[in-house]
Amino acid sequence: MRLIVCALTMTLGSAPIAHGETQPLPATRSEPPPAAQSQTPSATPSDDGSGAPPETQPAAPSNAPSAALLAATGSPTGLADSAALRATVFGTPPQDMAPLPETVPLSEINIALPWANPVPAVYWFDRKLRVWFSAQKKPAPLAIVIAGTGGDGNTSKLSILRGALYGAGYHVLTMPSPTFPGFIVSTSSTGVSGDLLQDSRDLYAAIQQILAHLPRRVRITDIDVLGYSLGGANAAVVKSIDATTGTGKLHIHRAVMINPPVSLITSISRLDKLFAISIGSSDADIDRLYRQLYAELANLYRASGKVELDEGFLLAAAATVLKSDAEFSAAIALSFRLNLADMFFAGDLYTGAGVVVDPRHPPRVSDSLENASRVLRGMAFSDYFSRVFAPYYLKHRTNSTSKSLIADNRLDIIGDALRDDGDYYAQTNSDDLILDTRELQWLKNTLGPRIVVYDHGGHLGNIGDRHQVADMLEMLAGRWSPPAP
Amino acid sequence: MTGRHCSVWIVLWFACASGLGGCATQSVNIRSLPPETPAADNAAAAENAAELAKALASEPQNTGTKETKAVPLVTPADAPSMATYDPWGRLNRFIYRFNARFDEALFLPIANGYRRLPLPLRAGVHNFFGNLSEVDSIVNYTLQLRLVHGLRSAGRLLINSTLGLGGLFDVAKKFKLPSAPTGLSATLATWGVHPGPYLVIPLLGPSTLRDGIGVVGDFGVSHAVDIAHLYRANESWYLEGLNLIDQRANVDFRYYSSGSPFEYETIRFLYVRKRLIEDAGLSRGRQPQKTPHGVPAGE
Repeated sequence: MRLIVCALTMTLGSAPIAHGETQPLPATRSEPPPAAQSQTPSATPSDDGSGAPPETQPAAPSNAPSAALLAATGSPTGLADSAALRATVFGTPPQDMAPLPETVPLSEINIALPWANPVPAVYWFDRKLRVWFSAQKKPAPLAIVIAGTGGDGNTSKLSILRGALYGAGYHVLTMPSPTFPGFIVSTSSTGVSGDLLQDSRDLYAAIQQILAHLPRRVRITDIDVLGYSLGGANAAVVKSIDATTGTGKLHIHRAVMINPPVSLITSISRLDKLFAISIGSSDADIDRLYRQLYAELANLYRASGKVELDEGFLLAAAATVLKSDAEFSAAIALSFRLNLADMFFAGDLYTGAGVVVDPRHPPRVSDSLENASRVLRGMAFSDYFSRVFAPYYLKHRTNSTSKSLIADNRLDIIGDALRDDGDYYAQTNSDDLILDTRELQWLKNTLGPRIVVYDHGGHLGNIGDRHQVADMLEMLAGRWSPPAP
Repeated sequence: MTGRHCSVWIVLWFACASGLGGCATQSVNIRSLPPETPAADNAAAAENAAELAKALASEPQNTGTKETKAVPLVTPADAPSMATYDPWGRLNRFIYRFNARFDEALFLPIANGYRRLPLPLRAGVHNFFGNLSEVDSIVNYTLQLRLVHGLRSAGRLLINSTLGLGGLFDVAKKFKLPSAPTGLSATLATWGVHPGPYLVIPLLGPSTLRDGIGVVGDFGVSHAVDIAHLYRANESWYLEGLNLIDQRANVDFRYYSSGSPFEYETIRFLYVRKRLIEDAGLSRGRQPQKTPHGVPAGE
């Protein structure tokens, strides 16, 4: 009985209102962080054409009534579009979903990686990397799918994509985002997540290990890689790393990016801004949001006359409580912020930055982390960048500067490959709130006919939609041709 | 004699083999899970969405008029503190870790195996235990002076035990008598007992002192009533075991799937807020208990 309650509270957690990790409803995942550098594959920042590295503007804390900035008057690519916010929170409506198979076999693979760092006491449960695999009975191509910021290898979005891909005849391997705490602990070689190139290298090495350990009866004819949100950028970089790898090369064939960021830092700064605008930046602002949500939920619940606060109630509540654009924005921003807190804590612990963890007295397994979690709730991505990320990479990467770290975290580190190699594809939406007009244009210019831009869907709000799935499958099969204008 | 020896050797052999096997595959472990059913899940989601839309369309009358007059609204100032009263935190964390390990090693694998059984069979088991719990509901609705609800539970028990073949089918639901279980904890809440300190119960998970007492009390009532002699017979242990597995299999929760070291704090926060919201609903006409500012929720 208590466990049921537990699950329900998790549901509440994943409803856009509270926390933000796993499961059903609509949580939004978005972009993470920064930096990569030159010792890499095809990675030469080739910044021609449309996009000069945008500057990061750390969120300007402003309590200005959100409505003004977020009202539905925005441009298709602004923060402001009302329909985009709703799509982002609620995802694809069930009636618009592509046909999915009746059953999909599933197993989980837990793997200890040889290069892993020693596991800090508080992460005792994250020793092994956990990924999910669905095998076809006959020889088939393999689709590897990477989650967006903070997502584990079995998010609801991955589950939808798994169904669609398995139904189309692929073996499917779903992977956590390199920003997921379980990945940071079990797989990251640095403990500081968010660097596009370094994270993707860790991902690639993990994929090599996993594929080497698949049961022998699984026969793979071809390998493609996909990802949504940050995972999209990771997927493309993973393919580019494979292209320049000598031994152990996987021969990844095609890559499809779904709602990728162009500049990680700019996209995330946009989410910082969203948080500052819709919620505020002090602890008091977060407390105010919490009290308001609590009161709304309590009143709804009393009025409903129900005895138990169950899942059905919570779904209804999410649909009722979230009304204004500001509330949708708050849900998106909060969900991202809670993922960020996990990244931040891990980075702080691994680098000894001392933001919330005293490096001389790391927390023991039964210590309360309440204080750390409260402090991190109030910290923006710009704080992570300046206090954990940049200090680490400035030290470990010769000749780097804050500016170069930002530039390293743009998709143009693989710009040449994206432009010249016909096996990279992208799907995005004209109202995706992590892209601005210039970035969207850069994607279009770079990929040419290999990108499809839907009018509507916000950020990830149309994953699983009939058109999205049909186009994705065409792209993976190399049959994609853009619709006639 | 030989037969018994034989079986001892077989057990030992298996123990060694699995131990060695464990060593050999220690770095990789592949676990098969119940298959996903995306088509059916999406159909169910579509149905829920349609129901929800219908409910929302009829909502205004429900919330707006009748209820708001009788019930003082909860204001943001009434919300409990974001901190939670957890004086036994160290012990709770220890039990939470124990539960996580136990779940991972035993409870969840068993529940996953159980989930592979045909749905009608599992639904029958679930209904069966749900029907037994109506006894607690009848007693507690009576103690809460919510007699209509109590009668509904009694009606459900009667209908499902007979027409529903001993509770295997929830026939009463079709007669518009939906399930609405309650228990001792809700009764205590109705009469103003605070949740008290947060408490993690071995195997069962998040709770509060009051909820823990409720669990024990409810079990005591079932045991005392001993319907159909199910609770005191020698086979009762099997039944309790099956009950636990049924409960676990119906909960879509995995310890530490969040990967986060803050999971304990997150679950504690959500659990206690959920219970406080439910308490506010139970205290119908009366003003719900308030936690003074600066005092952790639940104290």
